[in-house]
Amino acid sequence: MGRLINTLRARLIAVVLVIHAALVPLLYLGVSAIVEEGYADSFVNSVRSFSRLTADELEAVDEKDFALRAVALLDGVMLSGQVVFTEVIDGSLRFRSSLQPESAPVQRPDDFDFGDHGDQVYYISHSIKRGARHVLLRLGFDEAPTLQRIAAAKERTLTAVLTFTLASLIVSVWLSSVIARPMVRLQEAAKRVAGGDVHARLQMSSSISEVQELNQVLESMRQELVGANERLACEIREREVSERKRLDLERRLLHRERIATIGTLAGGVAHEFNNILTPILLYSQLALNDTPPGSARAHDLGRIVAAAHRARSLIKRILTFSREMDSTEVGAFSLRSTVEEALALMRAIVPSNVEITLDAQEEDIRVSGDPSLVHQVIINLCTNAYQAMRRSGGRLLIRLWSTDEPIEGQEEAGRSAVLEVTDTGHGIDASVIAHVFEPFFTTRDVGEGTGLGLSVVHGIVSSMGGAITVESTVDQGTTFRVYLPIARSAAPALAGDSA
Amino acid sequence: MASVLVVDDERDVAEAIEAVLAHAGFTVITAESAAQALEHVAAHKFDIVVTDIIMPKVNGLELIRKLRARYPRVRVIAISGGGSFGPLSLKPEAISTHAFIAAAKDAGAEDVLTKPFDMDDLLAAVRRHLPN
Repeated sequence: MGRLINTLRARLIAVVLVIHAALVPLLYLGVSAIVEEGYADSFVNSVRSFSRLTADELEAVDEKDFALRAVALLDGVMLSGQVVFTEVIDGSLRFRSSLQPESAPVQRPDDFDFGDHGDQVYYISHSIKRGARHVLLRLGFDEAPTLQRIAAAKERTLTAVLTFTLASLIVSVWLSSVIARPMVRLQEAAKRVAGGDVHARLQMSSSISEVQELNQVLESMRQELVGANERLACEIREREVSERKRLDLERRLLHRERIATIGTLAGGVAHEFNNILTPILLYSQLALNDTPPGSARAHDLGRIVAAAHRARSLIKRILTFSREMDSTEVGAFSLRSTVEEALALMRAIVPSNVEITLDAQEEDIRVSGDPSLVHQVIINLCTNAYQAMRRSGGRLLIRLWSTDEPIEGQEEAGRSAVLEVTDTGHGIDASVIAHVFEPFFTTRDVGEGTGLGLSVVHGIVSSMGGAITVESTVDQGTTFRVYLPIARSAAPALAGDSA
Repeated sequence: MASVLVVDDERDVAEAIEAVLAHAGFTVITAESAAQALEHVAAHKFDIVVTDIIMPKVNGLELIRKLRARYPRVRVIAISGGGSFGPLSLKPEAISTHAFIAAAKDAGAEDVLTKPFDMDDLLAAVRRHLPN
């Protein structure tokens, strides 16, 4: 920052100095020359008039005692103080002033130029007519005083010029400050903004329009920066929120998966246990059949049968428990919010070439049951749907509405909710469509699917007192429709149900 | 004397059922797979077929359908494991109690028994569907 001031100031001052260095000597020399010429001219003029007067006087001198009168005249001339040399040449006679020192300067031819010859004397001669003869008057005037006056005048000129130069310098220094100061302040303010203090206003008034404009431009940039910062901060907050939501969804998914693992374990173990228990129960009952009742053996066998029965109900309870572990109590819940939750999960899983749309009526549809089961239904149906569209992408449309028609085959009359899942995938062949809900039925390759997804859906829907239908056209798409009975208004709402 | 074919890939289970039915006076043959079962049905006449519907490589439901299609006089009783089998999704009980039972009945089974069933329940189911 200091360097900027110095550069600006230094430049201004340097420029001023250079101009002065170039012009001031010229100015000085010019003025001095004029002054000198003036003084010289004035000297020469006065010298000439004086000598002319003297010449006239000499011309008028009486011829009688001419020499004496001439010398007296010359003395008078010497006394004027201006003259340092006098001489009258009358033929072969030379008269000089008696006041003239002996060591008077040697004669020279006339100077016509002031200051010439370095002797500080200005010689002038007149030829005077006296009667028939010509007399020569020679006067040497002292240039010294004039030269001194010239020197003094030159000194004054120099002083003036130097003073002018100094004043210019001072003014230029002041001027550079005037220009530099607002720029420095702007610079400091801009530095503050750049350093992070974006709320420091850039406010200064200057009479220099460029500086004022610069101030305005910088200020509007700063405000733009503030705006951009706030938008960024807002976006970051939004991202944090959706990140938290995503993490929350992930956590819930993980939880469900863990529960599923336990369920699977329980289920798998239960299956084996049931297979093991079957011979135990059957053989002991068979043996008991052939044993006399009341006998000790009958009693023992009875204990085996009882134990096998206890094992059977234990496994049943474990299975029920593993199912209940991640389900809330049975009650009425909002179908729409369950569907939306499931779709949020699907949107995160489904590839981007599949477009998911939900078309649900405004009115809140409530069904009785376990929302996590309905969740499962939607996930399974949507998974099948997007896998049918995996290669080429497509649209997955979920529609939700209510109808006054009761569900076919169900005894209870009342309104039904209809959940429809339509995809634009490869469709299901007519020969196959009758079996889609069968357990283990799958048209996929080994390892790609267990064929249990739709059978689970069928099971859940049946257990909720509903029904499910399927329609499909090969290469066009498939539509599953799930019908669920709408909860009677008397049904208690689930704890934590937000609808 | 009625004849019964018992199909289950678990040998212990099949033999236990065989023991019970044989003791009750039925002629019993056991098979370990649907293929074997079909061979037996082609060779002999059976009144009842008791078959497990959750078997590894075999689709028990497919077997039921085939039996109903080719041998409509034969009555089929399905038995199910009551738990779950293989990698599954969340609700094993939903599958076993509803989907399998419904699917078996859809396929043509007269009855579905869940293991482990009591001897008396087994005998009652078989006797109920004997051709009379």
